[in-house]
Amino acid sequence: MNVTERQHHIGVARGEVGRYVFLPGDPGRCEPIARLFDDPKLVAKNREYETWTGYLDGEMVSVTSTGIGCPSAAIAMEELVKVGADTFVRVGTSGAMQPDIRVGDLGVIQGAIRDEGTSSHYLPMEFPAVADLELTRALAIGARSTGKTVHIGISQSKDSFYGQHEPGRMPVAARLQERWHAWMAGGAICSEMEAAALYIVAATLRVRAGGIMKIFGHWDQAPMTEEELAQEGLGDLLAAAIAGMREMIAQDRAAVAK
Amino acid sequence: MNATELQHHIQLKAGDVGRYVLLPGDPGRCEPIAQLFDDPVKVASNREYETWTGTLDGEKVSVVSTGIGCPSASIAVEELIKIGADTFIRVGTSGAMQPDSFTGELAVITAAIRDEGTTSHYLPMEFPAVADPQVVFALADAAKTLGHPYRLGVSQSKDSFYGEVEPDRMPMAEQLHRRWDAFVAGGAISSEMEAAAIFVISSIHRVRAGGIMRMWLDGTDDTDPHMEKLLGTAVQALRNLIRDDKAGMSWP
Repeated sequence: MNVTERQHHIGVARGEVGRYVFLPGDPGRCEPIARLFDDPKLVAKNREYETWTGYLDGEMVSVTSTGIGCPSAAIAMEELVKVGADTFVRVGTSGAMQPDIRVGDLGVIQGAIRDEGTSSHYLPMEFPAVADLELTRALAIGARSTGKTVHIGISQSKDSFYGQHEPGRMPVAARLQERWHAWMAGGAICSEMEAAALYIVAATLRVRAGGIMKIFGHWDQAPMTEEELAQEGLGDLLAAAIAGMREMIAQDRAAVAK
Repeated sequence: MNATELQHHIQLKAGDVGRYVLLPGDPGRCEPIAQLFDDPVKVASNREYETWTGTLDGEKVSVVSTGIGCPSASIAVEELIKIGADTFIRVGTSGAMQPDSFTGELAVITAAIRDEGTTSHYLPMEFPAVADPQVVFALADAAKTLGHPYRLGVSQSKDSFYGEVEPDRMPMAEQLHRRWDAFVAGGAISSEMEAAAIFVISSIHRVRAGGIMRMWLDGTDDTDPHMEKLLGTAVQALRNLIRDDKAGMSWP
């Protein structure tokens, strides 16, 4: 496929997105993120993929939704790289996996558990799904600038939302529960559904990926209180993600200047 | 086993080592590394595990050899954690995996390919073997300060040395080649034999680990056989961590 053509699924052509791209899962989150850019414009909308482009500190940046799960997230990243993107920040919500992690905290995802079916089409399971650490550092700096409690660690990237939230009703319940406990014992901080594929695909394409999540859900699946549900707003998360991307842009500019 | 008792394999007890431990594979490298500490003392030597303890900037630090491979490295780390160590830097040599690498370049390991049999006794294979980012940047900053070329990236932790260097004579030759090519395509920068176990066990115990390797590109000459750049960088990274810990800095 020629890069000047519109990509098959995301409907975007070269020149329409920046190097720097935010990746929420939900298309409904693209516009609120784009409103934090200068001069945001809707570029394309097809299936679960919605793309907006604008500027941060004079640098062209974009936001593209991935849809839920690694299969659609891998497609988004593959096609965005074909049109020139090389720095990706996954942004979204995730459930806590440690008792000391609270609803409303921020998690910066340094590596991901490949508990999904997409990344094994790229690399053997022994290969770690790891974020770009320079980008991880920039996101951690952005997260700390919000004053929220920040956790840096590993996320579980799962393929089944209901397998995590209602494991007891699955025929493979015992396996799901045993593995969940193993991930917690290993120190995993949060559970989400896209990071592993994004990190593995990024490794094979030699581009940078990182992730920042707002914790929304308890480690023991306890229902959230009214007070916690009232924290659903993503203002802190988006402020942290934007600050982290600005930090990365500044570091890239400093490296070029050198 | 009580921490005040001697640990079974490393023959050390609480107080014999510092929080900060360098982990070479070769027992023969412990003494040269310890000579970079202040007041180094040999503390124990049993099997492949040799231990020296000294100080850096007034803080107690140690060097313990792991022997070759994840099985013996996992024992060293488990027993060191039991007696109070909580910060590990693997230090050693490795094969370069990217064509633009060169002999003498340093690899600061961010994560490891679990191409070994030890870590699956701890966690399912889907779990990533990752280094602690604070240790990673302490190492990168040390290399930068000292002016030594380095790169950040993923390391292959393998169980078979000869499976890597002489794959063609193995009955599994085809699979070994295919997987090696996949790891290179995934961007792996170095091939060694212990990082995956050190990282996974450190995650489980909530302690910090990282690794720095001196890379050797097949068919090229060794330019620094005494590894002064590698060892100097590792020691400088320990100083960076000691400074930041004393200041109570949370990373980054």
